[in-house]
Amino acid sequence: MLRLEAVSAGYGRIAALKAVSLEVREGELVCLIGANGAGKSTTLRAISGLLAPGAGRITWQGETISGLAPREVLARGIAHCPEGRRIFPHLTVRENLEMGALLRRDRAAVARDLAAMHDRFPRLAERSRQAAGTLSGGEQQMLAIARALMSRPKLVMFDEPSLGLAPSLVDAVFALVAEIRAAGTTVLMVEQNAMAALRLADRAYLLETGQVVTQGTGAALLASPAVRDAYLGGATA
Amino acid sequence: MDQTLQHLVNGTVLGGTYALLGIGLTLVFGIMRVVNFTHGELYTFGAYMAYALVALLQLDFILSLVLATVLGIGLGAAIELLLLRPMRRADIDSVMLVMIGAALVLQNAEMWAWGGVAKLIPNPFPGEPLVLGPVSVLPLRLFVLAVAAALLLGFWLLLDRTRFGVAMRATFQDPETAALMGVRIGWVNTATFALGSGLAAAAGALLGPVFIVSPTMGDLVGLKAFAIVILGGLGSLPGATIGGFALGYVEEFAGGFVSTEYRDAFGFLLIILVLALRPQGLVPAKERIG
Repeated sequence: MLRLEAVSAGYGRIAALKAVSLEVREGELVCLIGANGAGKSTTLRAISGLLAPGAGRITWQGETISGLAPREVLARGIAHCPEGRRIFPHLTVRENLEMGALLRRDRAAVARDLAAMHDRFPRLAERSRQAAGTLSGGEQQMLAIARALMSRPKLVMFDEPSLGLAPSLVDAVFALVAEIRAAGTTVLMVEQNAMAALRLADRAYLLETGQVVTQGTGAALLASPAVRDAYLGGATA
Repeated sequence: MDQTLQHLVNGTVLGGTYALLGIGLTLVFGIMRVVNFTHGELYTFGAYMAYALVALLQLDFILSLVLATVLGIGLGAAIELLLLRPMRRADIDSVMLVMIGAALVLQNAEMWAWGGVAKLIPNPFPGEPLVLGPVSVLPLRLFVLAVAAALLLGFWLLLDRTRFGVAMRATFQDPETAALMGVRIGWVNTATFALGSGLAAAAGALLGPVFIVSPTMGDLVGLKAFAIVILGGLGSLPGATIGGFALGYVEEFAGGFVSTEYRDAFGFLLIILVLALRPQGLVPAKERIG
């Protein structure tokens, strides 16, 4: 469905990705794990068009999408829920959700999806007319996820959805990600919380200094001594 | 007391057009981070276009004001596409220099096209003031106030109620995330600059018939527009509106009660006071994130 072939990208002279190849198949939940600065976020940014790859090719459903503008990538069914939530703090909750559906022209269906989001996230319904910046951290993360879903993506990419959340909320976010996948949306997720991510993932890639060093099923990576030592801090499963 | 009411009316008329000027400038700064030195020249441009359409082509007065505004929007779009878009990644100093250069070119072009002698724009309104109790006001000035109020309201509705307005405000807050939602940032920039320029041209076309039209009329007005925007808080739309009216009232009252000669100076004195006591402006812009 989505394929990266030897993609390199960087900021100025700094190479953040060096020939990264990976694949996401339809219906999968794939995780990218690795330390800070390993290139996880850069991978998502290259896919969504925020960063044009310097070399390599990104294909989506057989079509080359590397170098397309974010709008074009989104129009093809790939939504990117960025790191740090990045909700629009001075827009209302409802306006934030509407921004997610900006490219959709089927107003009736958008209204139905909005109602469905309100059913799924009653807190967002209650605070519909409030500035999104007044929400709690957990509510903002739910809003960011709901906003990404409002585009009705075929593939949704989450960048560190559990970042900065209280432990109880972390579980809720991972449960939500599992629910989204179960509903038929393909998921590509970046997480520093490697343990939780690998438990959830069908497959995962381990990135180190801009390169894929290990890949496999979530369970295989969880069991891998290298991964356990380096990223799970020897924690017991 | 009677004089106070009169000044209040005059200050409101002046403040309305100042608010138009301020909103156009603050919007461009807020969304594009561009310090727009051509703003005062767009005001001049609007006034000259109104002159050309009304006095030379003898078109209908109101139609001429509309066309002058549309031409201002067009000139603004051209400036954005030809000068600002190629400099998207340039630093703010270079962009500032280019805008100062563009302002000089525009001003000299006005001088070259129209000569240095001031022009009058005829208007169809009766020259007799309307007298309402202690207050008398020229119908033309009432018309100016009504149009300025309608433009302010229309602009607010555009930003608050339309999809385009929501996208514009989202871009203001976080351009990168707005791009991820499918907003064409380049297009929002062009539209913002064009609309801001259109508001300046509208203000010029409205005030041209009230005062006189000359190639340097935009100098002081451009400076005042900056003062309004700084007064209200850079990048803040409510701030620019309040700042515009505040400047209008201060000029009018200081001109009326203290000294007509120094009315402009009082406006700038107000800016100095606000900056000394409340440097973030009256209504600070909502901070950017990301």
